[in-house]
Amino acid sequence: MIDNINIYSYGDSSMIIKSNKKNNKDLSLIYQALNSTNFDGVDDIIKTVSTIGLIFNPYKTKYSKLRNQITSLIDKINPLYKDKEVKEWKIPVCYSKNYGLDLEYLSNKLKLSTENIIKYHKESTYEVSMIGFLPGFVYLDCNNPILKVPRKNTPRSSIPDGSIAIAQNQTGIYNLNSPGGWNIIGKTPKKLFNKEGNPPIKIKEGDIVKFYEIDEEKFKKYK
Amino acid sequence: MKNTIEIIRPGVFSSIQDLKRVGFKKYGIPKSGPMDDQSHIMANWLVGNNIYSETIEITFSGPKIKFLFNTKIGLCGSKTLVFINDKEIKMNKTIKIKSGEILDIKNCSTGNRIYLSIMGEMRLKKNFKSLSTYDKITLGGVNGRKLMKGDIIKFKKKKFNENRFVPEILIRNHNDKIIRVIKGPEYHLIDEKSINKGFIVTSLSDRMGIRLSGNKIKLNSNSGIDSSVVCEGTIQIPPDGNPIVLMRDAQTTGGYPRIGVISRVDISKLSQIKFNQKIKFNFITLNESESLINFEKRKFKSKLGIDLSS
Repeated sequence: MIDNINIYSYGDSSMIIKSNKKNNKDLSLIYQALNSTNFDGVDDIIKTVSTIGLIFNPYKTKYSKLRNQITSLIDKINPLYKDKEVKEWKIPVCYSKNYGLDLEYLSNKLKLSTENIIKYHKESTYEVSMIGFLPGFVYLDCNNPILKVPRKNTPRSSIPDGSIAIAQNQTGIYNLNSPGGWNIIGKTPKKLFNKEGNPPIKIKEGDIVKFYEIDEEKFKKYK
Repeated sequence: MKNTIEIIRPGVFSSIQDLKRVGFKKYGIPKSGPMDDQSHIMANWLVGNNIYSETIEITFSGPKIKFLFNTKIGLCGSKTLVFINDKEIKMNKTIKIKSGEILDIKNCSTGNRIYLSIMGEMRLKKNFKSLSTYDKITLGGVNGRKLMKGDIIKFKKKKFNENRFVPEILIRNHNDKIIRVIKGPEYHLIDEKSINKGFIVTSLSDRMGIRLSGNKIKLNSNSGIDSSVVCEGTIQIPPDGNPIVLMRDAQTTGGYPRIGVISRVDISKLSQIKFNQKIKFNFITLNESESLINFEKRKFKSKLGIDLSS
């Protein structure tokens, strides 16, 4: 049974579903169930690491009504339901100094050679924990604690699109040029976000990501 | 060219916005849309357009536009001097404009933005179901950006024979600076006394967020929160203590404490408060905010015949 769930209001047009369990499998099941149900007035369903947010139109529905609908939906979820299809992605990264703008800084900070940072980074396996903040930004959880670093004190005003960056225990993929405070270690030539596409990004939360290294020559030829 | 308008002078930041980009936040794409959605809706109503349709959101100083077809326009929002061929016209009512005439919108005086509706439908490319301009990744509008000199917008014509005006009771005077707020998920992290003093709206504000100053909010705990969902109207406290109210182009998730959320009915009001003016937060409950929403819904229905739940 799915239990240990908190549902609370957040303003008059949103609500949050939070799982108090360490493992977030329950939350993934709820997220799938919500996405396959049509609730009148719900505009957006957003999954983050430990919560799901629902944004609704307060002229069409309200918190107490939605809360009842969602509670009865959760009661009906079969906890043994097979997880949706998990896709594995292999993403090329060029870790050269031209693209890995913070590699040397990280090398000093972590007391690791840049070679070792690259080695640990490409040998780790990642799970997509969420997509968001900015259009197409992919958050990846890392299973390797060695590469844990804080965000930079002063964010860069512009991070080139395709940059692969790390902060805390996560790797982020900046699919679009944007400001940001993560430590940049490389760049992928693969275009993951396409504003003309439907969906604009095919990677989804729960998917597995692995990186492989390419040199600058391959980067430039990549299609 | 037939059925077009031409931008002769664009103004500081004039952009096309509608209320149709819904359901794409899971890809990190904001809803965008008019900062003052109440004025947007009333402007559309004046010319018989659907309330979700596009208007031109004009910020601070207005554009000069040549019309190349006979149509009707509506203007709502900040009090602003507006002329057609040098003859002053009124806001908040249906106005006829003829082919060849020039609409000249001056500086916004009582607020920040004025909304121009034009009877018909703009023939522009939609992104994510919407014409809302989001210039960061060039979505909507004219080539994904604000209007520029020489832009030509084509229209699909429609007919609408009524002449409408917005009743006085629905026209905001922009003097009210009290913003009603519901406590947010991390309200417990702040010192309650500090939030009750006023704040100043700063010029660092934009469509993404309204940045406040003049009263730094201290947090009881220094730790950020896990990246979590954020919604429009959220008051975030970044490490420097100066609150940011998230607006229409805001990011979809965030890691700063969310200490409050502006009541839905007051987000439009806040968007019109000018730089350096002082605002105050007045905390209300979810129930009270829901009553305000219902009241607004009834008001729009009885005065304008608009169903906000449509």
